[in-house]
Amino acid sequence: MAETMLDEAYYKLLHDLQAVDFVLVELNLYLDTHPGDEAAIAQFNQYAELRKRIAAQYEAAYGPLMNFGHSMSKTPWQWKEAPWPWQV
Amino acid sequence: MNASDQFRTYRPFVGPHDPCPPIREKSYNVPPQLFITIQPPNLPQFSAYDALKYGTLWPALFAPYPDPSSPTRVTGGDM
Repeated sequence: MAETMLDEAYYKLLHDLQAVDFVLVELNLYLDTHPGDEAAIAQFNQYAELRKRIAAQYEAAYGPLMNFGHSMSKTPWQWKEAPWPWQV
Repeated sequence: MNASDQFRTYRPFVGPHDPCPPIREKSYNVPPQLFITIQPPNLPQFSAYDALKYGTLWPALFAPYPDPSSPTRVTGGDM
């Protein structure tokens, strides 16, 4: 399996993903107690869409983010490949 | 009450027979969420990257909880 190149784009994508994920967590918790806030719901959906795009971009280039069917994999099976999150 | 001085202080009783040197002033943290019952909608927000750094999406709820004993009581990502 070719050595995965951890280049600038790799870290930028991960940083974007983390930032978007954190916003989604905050909005989700906020919406749990403010179900009627349409602006927040619109923002949440917007970030959810953005998250899908970032994750798809990352997975196409660097492999699956999650296992058990939450991400796709190329051949050969990529899930077991390094780097793992603590190695990044 | 800006982000760096979310503390209140009190002076415990110091008796003549205390075994150890007295701590004359003690502090406790009062983060902003103590003063907001229901978070109002449409509060100003950080950018996604800043939210990651500050640990919250809304500046109004930023609570760094710096080390009370440090003189400036200000930590990284402060405002």
